[in-house]
Amino acid sequence: MAMRQTPLTCSGHTRPVVDLAFSGITPYGYFLISACKDGKPMLRQGDTGDWIGTFLGHKGAVWGATLNKDATKAATAAADFTAKVWDAVSGDELMTLAHKHIVKTVDFTQDSNSLLTGGQDKLLRIYDLNKPEAEPKEISGHTSGIKKALWCSEDKQILSADDKTVRLWDHATMTEVKSLNFNMSVSSMEYIPEGEILVITYGRSIAFHSAVSLDPIKSFEAPATINSASLHPEKEFLVAGGEDFKLYKYDYNSGEELESYKGHFGPIHCVRFSPDGELYASGSEDGTLRLWQTVVGKTYGLWKCVLPEEDSGELAKPKIGFPETTEEEIEEIASENSDCIYPSAPDVKA
Amino acid sequence: MQTPVTIPVPVLRLPRGPDGFSRGFAPDGRRAPLRPEVPEIQECPIAQESLEFQEQRARAALRERYLRSLLAMVGRQVSFTLHEGVRVAAHFGATDLDVVNFYVSQLQTPIGVQAEALLRCSDIISYTFKP
Repeated sequence: MAMRQTPLTCSGHTRPVVDLAFSGITPYGYFLISACKDGKPMLRQGDTGDWIGTFLGHKGAVWGATLNKDATKAATAAADFTAKVWDAVSGDELMTLAHKHIVKTVDFTQDSNSLLTGGQDKLLRIYDLNKPEAEPKEISGHTSGIKKALWCSEDKQILSADDKTVRLWDHATMTEVKSLNFNMSVSSMEYIPEGEILVITYGRSIAFHSAVSLDPIKSFEAPATINSASLHPEKEFLVAGGEDFKLYKYDYNSGEELESYKGHFGPIHCVRFSPDGELYASGSEDGTLRLWQTVVGKTYGLWKCVLPEEDSGELAKPKIGFPETTEEEIEEIASENSDCIYPSAPDVKA
Repeated sequence: MQTPVTIPVPVLRLPRGPDGFSRGFAPDGRRAPLRPEVPEIQECPIAQESLEFQEQRARAALRERYLRSLLAMVGRQVSFTLHEGVRVAAHFGATDLDVVNFYVSQLQTPIGVQAEALLRCSDIISYTFKP
């Protein structure tokens, strides 16, 4: 019997979710941070979407958020002209980095010693997190506001995107190495270290470039304007979402559209695969984050694969006593959830 | 032609949301051992207390002023500036205990007058009224 995707909706934000990022895989699992126009970025457990805490302190919309590899630190970029670094275990604010305009993007180096920021003042800044009072190193050259800035090539280079260009900079010499021009606004950029791939979205296009040379690898066209796309860690699939509220899943090798999912009530602003590739998260104008399974029907996180009984038309109750439990109890949800999760007839409307 | 019957993937429960009263980061959470140690306060405890006491008094005074300003607003015409450049006017009724919602009546919106309404505080950027 074919299984239908059940997205998990994470509520809590009251305004559009504009950015999200996963940490690496840590001994405590992996984590997810979401940036929201309500100014209150949230940390969640990555595989379940459970809320862990809210970083309080920004006085304006938060446009960018990121976690370091082991999820001990978080960084956020906001419309209050500051970037902030947080302790992601206690939720405390560690430092506030003042800028001259709205900050849109933040990224940690692999060793969490430096933070890269970029924003409407068109400057890239590199802060030494061990000396926060010291002036940051600045790289100028962009002619419009910076939307995304990322470390790449083992932090030896920097990739940055403004409205119509993507530029590659050398970290040591702070100079531009190469640039790409687009005749449409670049909506998002993702860097995949394994394979040095850069994913860029603009208009309805999802383009893949080498992160080292910026040479194009391939590109796909989606049915609607795409705001964000993410490549699976094993490079089998990619997911993309945009202005038509739908999420699209493509086969990376053939470019074939495999699935499309409705669910969000507003344009999708950001999509990212989890570090283990088992799920992907989407953030939307509707103020929610949704978690989607990569392999629909697989037991993972909160999704539990249940094989239906052969004779009856009813669905089997989920087995309690799930072996890989987290510290939370598993409530008996059979009756509680059957109304909303299990339709009793196939033609019940959503 | 029958479309294949599909079953939605079952879930154990829905993701937990914010608790609504704290900022989270539970002290007894999974990652509690990673929490940084709070350094001992070395200053003279009496001087410390006096500073804290003064701050608390200032906080209490400011809160009392704010609550009195809310009382003064009751029944008056208030003009609210909301997000995205939206301005609405209404008669102020009350707020709830944590000042999360404003209860108003005769709310003048771009699409008509709402007899009774609740405005979320998070949606309000500023408000002004003449006593």
